[in-house]
Amino acid sequence: MTKESDKASFKAPHMAVDIAGVRFKNPVMTASGTFGYGLEFSNLMDLNSIGGIVVKGLSTAPIKGNPPPRVYETPSGMLNAIGWQNIGATEFVARKLPVLMNYDTNVIVNIVGFELDDYLEVTRFLNDCPGIKALELNISCPNVKKGGFHFNKDPKDTYTITAETKKASPRLPLWVKLSPNVTDIAEFAKACEDAGADALSVINTFVGMAIDVEKRRPRLRFMTGGLSGPAIRPIAVRMVYEASRAVKIPVIGIGGIASTEDALEFLIAGARAVQVGTANFYQPDISQRIALGLQEYCRLRHIEDINELVGSLQPYE
Amino acid sequence: MLDKKVKVKAIRELGADNYLLTVNTPEQARLVRPGQFVMLKCVEDLAENPLLRRPFTIFDIHRSSRSGKPAGLDLLIKDVGVGTRKLVQTRPGQLLDCLGPQGHGFQVAAEMRNRVQLAYLVAGGVGIAPLFLLAQSLLTHGIRPVLFYGGASAADLVLRENFERLGIECVYTTEDGSFGERALVTQPLAQYIRSYRGKNIRMYGCGPWGMMKAVHLLSIENDIQCEVSLEARMGCSLGACLGCVVQTRDSRGEEQYLRVCQDGPVMNSRLINWNTVPL
Repeated sequence: MTKESDKASFKAPHMAVDIAGVRFKNPVMTASGTFGYGLEFSNLMDLNSIGGIVVKGLSTAPIKGNPPPRVYETPSGMLNAIGWQNIGATEFVARKLPVLMNYDTNVIVNIVGFELDDYLEVTRFLNDCPGIKALELNISCPNVKKGGFHFNKDPKDTYTITAETKKASPRLPLWVKLSPNVTDIAEFAKACEDAGADALSVINTFVGMAIDVEKRRPRLRFMTGGLSGPAIRPIAVRMVYEASRAVKIPVIGIGGIASTEDALEFLIAGARAVQVGTANFYQPDISQRIALGLQEYCRLRHIEDINELVGSLQPYE
Repeated sequence: MLDKKVKVKAIRELGADNYLLTVNTPEQARLVRPGQFVMLKCVEDLAENPLLRRPFTIFDIHRSSRSGKPAGLDLLIKDVGVGTRKLVQTRPGQLLDCLGPQGHGFQVAAEMRNRVQLAYLVAGGVGIAPLFLLAQSLLTHGIRPVLFYGGASAADLVLRENFERLGIECVYTTEDGSFGERALVTQPLAQYIRSYRGKNIRMYGCGPWGMMKAVHLLSIENDIQCEVSLEARMGCSLGACLGCVVQTRDSRGEEQYLRVCQDGPVMNSRLINWNTVPL
């Protein structure tokens, strides 16, 4: 039996985290490409309950995207090859952002482009828009033929695009979303930090492929797609662990998070915050549940500040 | 649109791998418009595989036998893969996550009452699913539906007695001649269109892409407005993942990908770029 005096001594845990000078009320966000422009979910959960929303990747002008089929489910995950379909930054700022700003959550914009100049153009435009808290540089999407992906093949290219984009966003913190399709993620993490990145989002999807054996053709029209979902989580946890040890800037953990326990794994591995992705598709309010779950975890264990968990991985004796 | 835990009330085998799943969900049942769908999780635990929910068109609103009020949904399910296999193995009393009703349904408006006399409903196999609520809605608007229902074999023409009970004209075709006329469903449809002298017809189609394209071409040749109900693999059904798109072309020839989940599943057939659909 819990005495009243014990109850009173339980202080509500401090859940806020700081990422490059921006305060997030809790470390739970939704990942780009899995939550639309946020408003699609406003009837199904309380958008005010999460730390932030990373909106669908935006380019200056709208992009049509890849021909269907674009998605295919695989064990504990899914492949997608959407191809950056988006309404364009101008339309987003005019129509979606003003509505999103009514919610008490941080809006982060993921930015995409085919060439360096595309990234710089959209960055300059968004840097001047009130209501946006940070930019997330997407150089890790595997689903466009020519495009951001080649900036993630060599740490030198990653350095260049990060440094140039950082110059174009003097007001907004710049996060870089890294590809897992590399041998040594620490090397890329360091290149971003050296180039002035304010934070890292680790990781984007793995390049994958599935085949229809009756028709002997790929399940996706684009041939390959990005693999996401719980199937990739253990690899993502490992990469967050490696990246966060390599740099001083905050790392945001992403990859198959579908429960409170999953989110905790990433925090303990070294992530300052997390993004929930594929799980939004089949459980639209999962990010809200995880935000509450983290608070409950801290409360039950008398952890006063969620930041105590970050990178708190214990060695075996 | 609501996200509910719904209880399986009954599951009835209809033959040819088709099942009618009835779930209790009065709040969702009250919101349904013809042509809409729900996203159902195929297993009880949300964390279990298959992860993604599956879209199912609402065949009918299940009504309480006592009060006659909407009590649940009747969903036509064809067992075609991993998800549907799990779903058709569910038992009464089991709980499933159900999101909906979703999507843009058929345009059946009050002002059609005096302007449209006749509607040709064209189904191929499980494409019958959205047409039963549509047929009922047309009848309440004083529009006479005629059903053209085709399949590979007699066993594929499930739930036809529901349409016959409405007292509407039903024309059946099978590819093997085991029931109705041995023909493609569009053959009697073309004859009916040719022989009908009046104006003000509408056409509604749902089935395989090839069938819908043939229905669309007949609608163009004969200058009849036509709506089709599309099927696609979906991630979220909320318009967020952009996984379920179809290529469309507006009146200015501008091409874009529209989402089957939110811009559809029912679309004017003239909007679709039929050269790009998977035949």
